[in-house]
Amino acid sequence: MEAFINSLSAISPQNTFAEEKLLHEAREYNNVRFLRCVEPQYSTFIDPMASRRMSRIIKMGVCSAIKCLQEAGINNPDAIITGTGMGCVEDTGRFLASIFENEEKLLNPTPFIQSTHNTVGASIALILKCKNYNNTYGHRGFSFESALLDGIMMLQEEEANDILVGALDELTPDLFTITDRLGFWKKDPVNNLHLKDYRSRGSLAGEGTTFFSLSRTKNEKSFARIRSLQTFLKPAGQREIEKKLTDTDKPDLVILGINGNPPGDEIYNHLKSGIFVNTPAAYYKHLCGEYDTSSAFALAMAAGIIREQHVPDIMKLDSKPVGAIRNILIYNHLRNVNHSVIQVSSC
Amino acid sequence: MEQLVQKLKEEIITALNLSEMKPENIDEKAPLFVDGLGLDSIDALELTVLLEKKYGLKINTSEEGKKVLLSVNSMAEFIRENKKG
Repeated sequence: MEAFINSLSAISPQNTFAEEKLLHEAREYNNVRFLRCVEPQYSTFIDPMASRRMSRIIKMGVCSAIKCLQEAGINNPDAIITGTGMGCVEDTGRFLASIFENEEKLLNPTPFIQSTHNTVGASIALILKCKNYNNTYGHRGFSFESALLDGIMMLQEEEANDILVGALDELTPDLFTITDRLGFWKKDPVNNLHLKDYRSRGSLAGEGTTFFSLSRTKNEKSFARIRSLQTFLKPAGQREIEKKLTDTDKPDLVILGINGNPPGDEIYNHLKSGIFVNTPAAYYKHLCGEYDTSSAFALAMAAGIIREQHVPDIMKLDSKPVGAIRNILIYNHLRNVNHSVIQVSSC
Repeated sequence: MEQLVQKLKEEIITALNLSEMKPENIDEKAPLFVDGLGLDSIDALELTVLLEKKYGLKINTSEEGKKVLLSVNSMAEFIRENKKG
Protein backbone atom coordinates (compact mmCIF):
# COMPACT_ATOMS: atom_id res chain seq x y z
CA MET A 1 0.00 0.00 0.00
CA GLU A 2 1.41 3.35 -0.95
CA ALA A 3 0.51 6.70 -2.45
CA PHE A 4 2.73 9.64 -3.26
CA ILE A 5 1.78 13.09 -2.01
CA ASN A 6 2.42 15.70 -4.70
CA SER A 7 0.70 18.70 -3.16
CA LEU A 8 -1.51 19.62 -0.26
CA SER A 9 -3.62 22.55 0.74
CA ALA A 10 -5.26 23.20 4.09
CA ILE A 11 -7.59 25.88 5.36
CA SER A 12 -7.39 25.76 9.13
CA PRO A 13 -7.33 28.04 12.18
CA GLN A 14 -3.64 28.54 11.32
CA ASN A 15 -2.26 30.41 8.31
CA THR A 16 -1.77 27.11 6.50
CA PHE A 17 -3.45 28.22 3.28
CA ALA A 18 -1.37 31.30 2.64
CA GLU A 19 1.97 30.28 4.12
CA GLU A 20 4.49 28.48 1.97
CA LYS A 21 6.49 27.34 4.96
CA LEU A 22 4.82 24.99 7.43
CA LEU A 23 3.50 26.84 10.52
CA HIS A 24 5.86 29.73 9.97
CA GLU A 25 3.97 31.65 12.60
CA ALA A 26 1.52 29.79 14.86
CA ARG A 27 -1.70 31.59 15.65
CA GLU A 28 -2.48 31.96 19.30
CA TYR A 29 -6.11 32.22 20.39
CA ASN A 30 -6.67 33.33 23.94
CA ASN A 31 -9.84 32.88 25.94
CA VAL A 32 -11.61 30.65 23.41
CA ARG A 33 -13.78 27.53 23.45
CA PHE A 34 -13.47 26.87 19.72
CA LEU A 35 -11.19 27.65 16.80
CA ARG A 36 -12.43 28.86 13.43
CA CYS A 37 -10.55 28.83 10.15
CA VAL A 38 -8.52 31.67 8.71
CA GLU A 39 -10.41 32.12 5.45
CA PRO A 40 -8.75 33.18 2.21
CA GLN A 41 -9.94 35.63 -0.43
CA TYR A 42 -12.29 33.25 -2.22
CA SER A 43 -12.72 35.30 -5.40
CA THR A 44 -9.10 34.49 -6.36
CA PHE A 45 -10.08 30.84 -6.69
CA ILE A 46 -13.84 30.71 -7.30
CA ASP A 47 -15.89 32.71 -9.79
CA PRO A 48 -18.27 34.94 -7.73
CA MET A 49 -21.22 33.74 -9.84
CA ALA A 50 -20.39 30.15 -8.83
CA SER A 51 -19.65 30.97 -5.19
CA ARG A 52 -22.76 33.08 -4.53
CA ARG A 53 -24.81 30.18 -3.21
CA MET A 54 -21.96 28.33 -1.56
CA SER A 55 -21.85 28.23 2.23
CA ARG A 56 -18.60 28.74 4.13
CA ILE A 57 -17.59 25.07 4.20
CA ILE A 58 -18.22 24.66 0.47
CA LYS A 59 -16.08 27.70 -0.33
CA MET A 60 -13.32 26.49 2.00
CA GLY A 61 -13.42 22.96 0.56
CA VAL A 62 -13.52 24.04 -3.08
CA CYS A 63 -10.83 26.64 -2.54
CA SER A 64 -8.39 24.24 -0.88
CA ALA A 65 -9.10 21.57 -3.50
CA ILE A 66 -8.46 23.96 -6.39
CA LYS A 67 -5.24 25.27 -4.87
CA CYS A 68 -4.07 21.71 -4.21
CA LEU A 69 -4.69 20.68 -7.83
CA GLN A 70 -3.05 23.85 -9.16
CA GLU A 71 0.09 23.11 -7.18
CA ALA A 72 0.17 19.53 -8.43
CA GLY A 73 -0.44 20.69 -12.01
CA ILE A 74 -3.53 18.48 -12.35
CA ASN A 75 -6.59 19.74 -14.23
CA ASN A 76 -8.74 16.65 -14.23
CA PRO A 77 -8.03 14.11 -11.46
CA ASP A 78 -8.98 10.46 -12.02
CA ALA A 79 -11.00 10.59 -8.81
CA ILE A 80 -12.31 13.11 -6.30
CA ILE A 81 -12.79 11.51 -2.89
CA THR A 82 -13.83 13.42 0.19
CA GLY A 83 -14.47 12.57 3.82
CA THR A 84 -16.57 14.56 6.24
CA GLY A 85 -17.90 13.67 9.65
CA MET A 86 -20.76 16.13 9.70
CA GLY A 87 -21.09 17.38 6.11
CA CYS A 88 -22.45 20.83 5.29
CA VAL A 89 -23.87 21.67 8.70
CA GLU A 90 -24.71 25.34 8.04
CA ASP A 91 -26.97 24.55 5.09
CA THR A 92 -28.49 21.59 6.94
CA GLY A 93 -29.40 23.95 9.80
CA ARG A 94 -30.77 26.53 7.37
CA PHE A 95 -32.89 23.92 5.61
CA LEU A 96 -34.27 22.49 8.86
CA ALA A 97 -35.04 25.99 10.16
CA SER A 98 -36.91 26.84 6.97
CA ILE A 99 -38.97 23.62 7.24
CA PHE A 100 -39.99 24.74 10.72
CA GLU A 101 -40.56 28.42 9.90
CA ASN A 102 -42.53 27.76 6.71
CA GLU A 103 -44.53 24.87 8.13
CA GLU A 104 -43.02 22.48 5.60
CA LYS A 105 -44.24 24.56 2.65
CA LEU A 106 -42.43 26.61 0.00
CA LEU A 107 -38.91 25.57 0.90
CA ASN A 108 -36.01 27.22 -0.86
CA PRO A 109 -34.13 24.59 -2.86
CA THR A 110 -30.60 25.92 -2.36
CA PRO A 111 -30.02 24.99 1.33
CA PHE A 112 -31.49 21.53 0.64
CA ILE A 113 -29.27 20.92 -2.38
CA GLN A 114 -26.20 22.22 -0.56
CA SER A 115 -26.85 20.39 2.70
CA THR A 116 -25.65 16.96 1.66
CA HIS A 117 -22.32 15.46 2.68
CA ASN A 118 -21.14 15.20 -0.94
CA THR A 119 -21.80 18.86 -1.86
CA VAL A 120 -18.12 19.82 -1.74
CA GLY A 121 -16.96 16.83 -3.83
CA ALA A 122 -19.72 17.54 -6.34
CA SER A 123 -18.95 21.29 -6.46
CA ILE A 124 -15.28 20.58 -7.19
CA ALA A 125 -16.33 18.25 -10.02
CA LEU A 126 -18.73 20.85 -11.44
CA ILE A 127 -16.09 23.57 -11.45
CA LEU A 128 -13.48 21.26 -13.04
CA LYS A 129 -16.09 19.66 -15.34
CA CYS A 130 -14.63 16.39 -14.04
CA LYS A 131 -16.84 13.37 -14.71
CA ASN A 132 -14.53 10.82 -13.13
CA TYR A 133 -15.10 8.79 -9.96
CA ASN A 134 -16.54 10.95 -7.23
CA ASN A 135 -17.30 9.64 -3.78
CA THR A 136 -17.80 10.98 -0.26
CA TYR A 137 -17.47 9.15 3.04
CA GLY A 138 -19.43 10.23 6.10
CA HIS A 139 -17.99 7.84 8.68
CA ARG A 140 -17.63 10.12 11.69
CA GLY A 141 -14.08 9.78 13.03
CA PHE A 142 -13.12 7.50 10.14
CA SER A 143 -14.40 9.77 7.37
CA PHE A 144 -11.03 10.99 6.16
CA GLU A 145 -9.39 7.59 6.66
CA SER A 146 -12.15 5.93 4.59
CA ALA A 147 -11.68 8.44 1.77
CA LEU A 148 -7.93 7.94 1.92
CA LEU A 149 -8.26 4.16 1.93
CA ASP A 150 -10.57 4.27 -1.09
CA GLY A 151 -8.08 6.48 -2.91
CA ILE A 152 -5.07 4.34 -2.06
CA MET A 153 -6.91 1.21 -3.18
CA MET A 154 -7.78 2.86 -6.50
CA LEU A 155 -4.11 3.70 -7.03
CA GLN A 156 -2.98 0.26 -5.95
CA GLU A 157 -5.41 -1.48 -8.27
CA GLU A 158 -4.30 0.83 -11.09
CA GLU A 159 -7.78 2.24 -11.57
CA ALA A 160 -6.33 5.72 -11.25
CA ASN A 161 -3.01 7.52 -11.55
CA ASP A 162 -3.73 10.92 -10.03
CA ILE A 163 -6.44 11.51 -7.47
CA LEU A 164 -7.69 14.22 -5.16
CA VAL A 165 -8.46 13.17 -1.59
CA GLY A 166 -9.71 15.60 0.99
CA ALA A 167 -11.43 16.12 4.31
CA LEU A 168 -13.73 18.84 5.52
CA ASP A 169 -15.68 19.71 8.63
CA GLU A 170 -17.11 23.01 9.74
CA LEU A 171 -18.10 24.34 13.13
CA THR A 172 -21.31 26.37 13.29
CA PRO A 173 -22.86 28.04 16.35
CA ASP A 174 -25.65 25.42 16.37
CA LEU A 175 -23.23 22.51 16.09
CA PHE A 176 -21.11 23.94 18.89
CA THR A 177 -24.16 24.35 21.14
CA ILE A 178 -25.37 20.79 20.52
CA THR A 179 -21.96 19.15 20.96
CA ASP A 180 -21.30 21.34 24.01
CA ARG A 181 -24.43 19.90 25.60
CA LEU A 182 -22.98 16.45 24.93
CA GLY A 183 -19.95 17.47 27.01
CA PHE A 184 -17.41 17.46 24.18
CA TRP A 185 -15.83 20.84 24.99
CA LYS A 186 -14.13 22.48 27.96
CA LYS A 187 -16.55 24.70 29.86
CA ASP A 188 -14.00 27.43 30.53
CA PRO A 189 -12.26 29.34 27.75
CA VAL A 190 -8.65 28.35 27.13
CA ASN A 191 -5.50 29.42 25.36
CA ASN A 192 -5.09 27.05 22.41
CA LEU A 193 -1.32 26.85 22.65
CA HIS A 194 -1.59 25.47 26.19
CA LEU A 195 -4.37 23.01 25.41
CA LYS A 196 -2.56 19.90 26.66
CA ASP A 197 -1.93 21.45 30.09
CA TYR A 198 -5.54 22.01 31.19
CA ARG A 199 -6.89 19.50 33.69
CA SER A 200 -10.59 20.08 32.99
CA ARG A 201 -12.63 17.62 30.92
CA GLY A 202 -13.45 18.19 27.27
CA SER A 203 -11.50 19.59 24.36
CA LEU A 204 -11.31 22.67 22.16
CA ALA A 205 -13.67 22.58 19.16
CA GLY A 206 -12.19 23.12 15.71
CA GLU A 207 -12.69 22.79 11.99
CA GLY A 208 -10.83 22.66 8.70
CA THR A 209 -10.55 21.53 5.10
CA THR A 210 -7.49 19.66 3.87
CA PHE A 211 -6.84 18.29 0.37
CA PHE A 212 -4.08 16.11 -1.05
CA SER A 213 -3.10 15.36 -4.61
CA LEU A 214 -1.94 11.74 -4.66
CA SER A 215 -0.37 9.67 -7.40
CA ARG A 216 0.33 6.01 -7.99
CA THR A 217 3.92 6.59 -9.02
CA LYS A 218 6.53 9.04 -7.86
CA ASN A 219 6.90 12.17 -9.97
CA GLU A 220 8.94 15.37 -9.84
CA LYS A 221 6.39 16.96 -7.45
CA SER A 222 6.30 14.07 -4.97
CA PHE A 223 7.60 14.95 -1.53
CA ALA A 224 6.12 12.32 0.79
CA ARG A 225 4.64 8.85 0.63
CA ILE A 226 1.74 7.34 2.57
CA ARG A 227 2.95 3.88 3.50
CA SER A 228 0.17 2.44 5.56
CA LEU A 229 -3.20 3.21 7.04
CA GLN A 230 -5.02 1.32 9.77
CA THR A 231 -8.30 2.00 11.51
CA PHE A 232 -9.75 0.22 14.50
CA LEU A 233 -12.93 0.77 16.44
CA LYS A 234 -13.30 0.81 20.23
CA PRO A 235 -10.16 -1.12 21.21
CA ALA A 236 -10.42 -3.31 24.29
CA GLY A 237 -7.58 -1.51 26.06
CA GLN A 238 -4.12 -0.02 25.95
CA ARG A 239 -2.52 -3.35 25.03
CA GLU A 240 -4.57 -3.65 21.84
CA ILE A 241 -3.61 -0.11 20.83
CA GLU A 242 0.07 -0.79 21.50
CA LYS A 243 -0.12 -3.98 19.45
CA LYS A 244 -1.46 -2.03 16.45
CA LEU A 245 1.25 0.59 16.82
CA THR A 246 4.14 -1.83 17.20
CA ASP A 247 3.08 -3.52 13.95
CA THR A 248 4.40 -0.44 12.14
CA ASP A 249 8.01 0.46 11.32
CA LYS A 250 9.97 2.41 13.93
CA PRO A 251 9.19 6.09 13.37
CA ASP A 252 11.60 9.04 13.54
CA LEU A 253 8.73 11.11 14.88
CA VAL A 254 5.31 10.26 16.26
CA ILE A 255 2.43 12.74 15.93
CA LEU A 256 -0.27 12.22 18.55
CA GLY A 257 -3.86 13.44 18.65
CA ILE A 258 -3.64 14.93 22.17
CA ASN A 259 -6.68 17.17 22.55
CA GLY A 260 -6.58 18.38 26.16
CA ASN A 261 -9.23 15.98 27.45
CA PRO A 262 -7.45 14.12 30.31
CA PRO A 263 -9.18 10.69 29.96
CA GLY A 264 -8.49 10.58 26.22
CA ASP A 265 -4.98 11.97 26.53
CA GLU A 266 -4.08 9.27 29.03
CA ILE A 267 -3.90 6.83 26.12
CA TYR A 268 -1.31 9.02 24.38
CA ASN A 269 0.64 9.63 27.60
CA HIS A 270 0.93 5.86 28.19
CA LEU A 271 2.37 5.45 24.70
CA LYS A 272 4.75 8.36 25.16
CA SER A 273 6.18 6.88 28.33
CA GLY A 274 5.94 3.32 27.00
CA ILE A 275 6.55 2.17 23.44
CA PHE A 276 7.52 5.67 22.25
CA VAL A 277 9.73 6.55 25.20
CA ASN A 278 12.73 7.02 22.93
CA THR A 279 10.86 8.55 20.00
CA PRO A 280 10.46 12.32 19.54
CA ALA A 281 6.78 13.20 19.80
CA ALA A 282 4.64 16.03 18.46
CA TYR A 283 0.96 16.98 18.58
CA TYR A 284 -1.39 19.15 16.52
CA LYS A 285 -4.91 19.63 17.92
CA HIS A 286 -3.95 22.82 19.77
CA LEU A 287 -3.48 24.28 16.28
CA CYS A 288 -6.67 23.12 14.57
CA GLY A 289 -9.02 22.08 17.39
CA GLU A 290 -10.87 18.79 17.67
CA TYR A 291 -13.15 17.65 14.84
CA ASP A 292 -14.05 14.45 13.05
CA THR A 293 -11.50 14.78 10.24
CA SER A 294 -8.63 16.40 12.13
CA SER A 295 -6.32 13.50 11.16
CA ALA A 296 -6.20 15.07 7.67
CA PHE A 297 -4.62 18.15 9.25
CA ALA A 298 -2.14 15.84 11.02
CA LEU A 299 -1.26 14.21 7.70
CA ALA A 300 -0.70 17.64 6.16
CA MET A 301 1.61 18.54 9.05
CA ALA A 302 3.49 15.22 8.71
CA ALA A 303 3.95 15.64 4.96
CA GLY A 304 5.11 19.23 5.49
CA ILE A 305 7.61 18.13 8.15
CA ILE A 306 9.07 15.53 5.78
CA ARG A 307 9.28 18.08 2.96
CA GLU A 308 11.00 20.68 5.12
CA GLN A 309 12.90 18.22 7.36
CA HIS A 310 11.93 20.40 10.27
CA VAL A 311 9.49 19.97 13.17
CA PRO A 312 7.99 23.34 14.18
CA ASP A 313 8.74 23.99 17.86
CA ILE A 314 5.07 24.68 18.49
CA MET A 315 4.24 21.04 17.67
CA LYS A 316 6.93 19.40 19.82
CA LEU A 317 5.92 17.51 22.94
CA ASP A 318 9.45 16.97 24.20
CA SER A 319 13.01 18.10 23.66
CA LYS A 320 14.32 14.82 22.26
CA PRO A 321 16.68 15.50 19.38
CA VAL A 322 15.14 14.94 15.96
CA GLY A 323 17.51 13.74 13.25
CA ALA A 324 16.66 13.05 9.64
CA ILE A 325 12.91 12.57 9.38
CA ARG A 326 12.19 9.70 7.02
CA ASN A 327 9.29 8.03 8.75
CA ILE A 328 6.43 9.63 10.71
CA LEU A 329 3.68 7.79 12.48
CA ILE A 330 0.38 9.58 13.14
CA TYR A 331 -1.83 8.10 15.82
CA ASN A 332 -5.18 9.68 16.59
CA HIS A 333 -8.40 8.68 18.26
CA LEU A 334 -11.74 10.43 18.37
CA ARG A 335 -13.29 10.03 21.82
CA ASN A 336 -11.68 6.59 22.18
CA VAL A 337 -14.05 5.24 19.52
CA ASN A 338 -12.39 5.78 16.15
CA HIS A 339 -8.66 5.07 16.23
CA SER A 340 -6.37 5.51 13.25
CA VAL A 341 -2.71 5.03 12.44
CA ILE A 342 -1.12 6.55 9.34
CA GLN A 343 2.53 6.06 8.35
CA VAL A 344 4.12 8.70 6.16
CA SER A 345 7.63 8.46 4.75
CA SER A 346 9.98 10.37 2.55
CA CYS A 347 9.87 9.36 -1.13
CA MET B 1 -45.14 48.96 -13.17
CA GLU B 2 -41.76 50.72 -12.85
CA GLN B 3 -41.97 50.45 -9.08
CA LEU B 4 -42.78 46.75 -9.30
CA VAL B 5 -39.81 46.12 -11.62
CA GLN B 6 -37.49 47.90 -9.19
CA LYS B 7 -38.84 45.94 -6.21
CA LEU B 8 -38.56 42.68 -8.15
CA LYS B 9 -34.92 43.39 -9.02
CA GLU B 10 -34.13 43.89 -5.34
CA GLU B 11 -35.93 40.69 -4.41
CA ILE B 12 -34.08 38.73 -7.09
CA ILE B 13 -30.72 40.02 -5.85
CA THR B 14 -31.56 38.91 -2.30
CA ALA B 15 -33.11 35.56 -3.23
CA LEU B 16 -30.28 34.56 -5.56
CA ASN B 17 -27.47 36.01 -3.44
CA LEU B 18 -26.24 38.27 -6.23
CA SER B 19 -24.44 40.39 -3.66
CA GLU B 20 -22.07 41.98 -6.16
CA MET B 21 -24.97 43.24 -8.27
CA LYS B 22 -27.12 46.35 -7.94
CA PRO B 23 -30.67 46.76 -9.30
CA GLU B 24 -29.44 49.18 -11.98
CA ASN B 25 -27.06 46.48 -13.29
CA ILE B 26 -30.00 44.26 -14.19
CA ASP B 27 -31.53 44.97 -17.59
CA GLU B 28 -35.25 44.29 -17.12
CA LYS B 29 -35.61 43.32 -20.78
CA ALA B 30 -32.61 40.97 -20.92
CA PRO B 31 -33.04 37.20 -20.52
CA LEU B 32 -32.51 35.99 -16.98
CA PHE B 33 -31.06 32.64 -18.00
CA VAL B 34 -27.95 31.67 -19.97
CA ASP B 35 -27.14 34.87 -21.92
CA GLY B 36 -28.36 37.68 -19.69
CA LEU B 37 -27.83 37.25 -15.97
CA GLY B 38 -26.53 33.73 -16.56
CA LEU B 39 -28.86 32.07 -14.09
CA ASP B 40 -29.38 28.30 -13.94
CA SER B 41 -32.03 25.74 -13.07
CA ILE B 42 -31.60 26.09 -9.30
CA ASP B 43 -32.21 29.83 -9.71
CA ALA B 44 -35.40 29.01 -11.65
CA LEU B 45 -36.63 27.06 -8.63
CA GLU B 46 -35.66 29.93 -6.31
CA LEU B 47 -37.58 32.42 -8.49
CA THR B 48 -40.63 30.13 -8.53
CA VAL B 49 -40.54 29.99 -4.72
CA LEU B 50 -40.11 33.79 -4.61
CA LEU B 51 -43.24 34.36 -6.74
CA GLU B 52 -45.27 32.05 -4.54
CA LYS B 53 -43.95 33.36 -1.21
CA LYS B 54 -44.05 37.08 -1.94
CA TYR B 55 -46.96 37.34 -4.37
CA GLY B 56 -48.96 34.16 -3.76
CA LEU B 57 -48.60 33.21 -7.43
CA LYS B 58 -48.02 29.69 -8.69
CA ILE B 59 -46.41 28.69 -11.96
CA ASN B 60 -48.34 25.63 -13.02
CA THR B 61 -46.50 24.23 -16.04
CA SER B 62 -42.93 24.29 -17.31
CA GLU B 63 -44.19 26.05 -20.46
CA GLU B 64 -45.68 28.81 -18.35
CA GLY B 65 -42.43 28.93 -16.36
CA LYS B 66 -40.37 29.52 -19.49
CA LYS B 67 -42.55 32.50 -20.44
CA VAL B 68 -42.83 34.01 -16.96
CA LEU B 69 -39.17 33.65 -16.02
CA LEU B 70 -37.87 35.01 -19.31
CA SER B 71 -36.92 38.43 -17.92
CA VAL B 72 -37.64 40.79 -15.03
CA ASN B 73 -40.25 42.48 -17.23
CA SER B 74 -42.05 39.20 -17.95
CA MET B 75 -42.10 38.37 -14.25
CA ALA B 76 -43.49 41.82 -13.43
CA GLU B 77 -46.11 41.43 -16.16
CA PHE B 78 -47.14 38.04 -14.75
CA ILE B 79 -47.51 39.58 -11.26
CA ARG B 80 -49.47 42.58 -12.57
CA GLU B 81 -51.91 40.44 -14.59
CA ASN B 82 -52.53 37.86 -11.92
CA LYS B 83 -52.74 40.19 -8.93
CA LYS B 84 -55.51 42.22 -10.67
CA GLY B 85 -58.44 40.26 -9.37
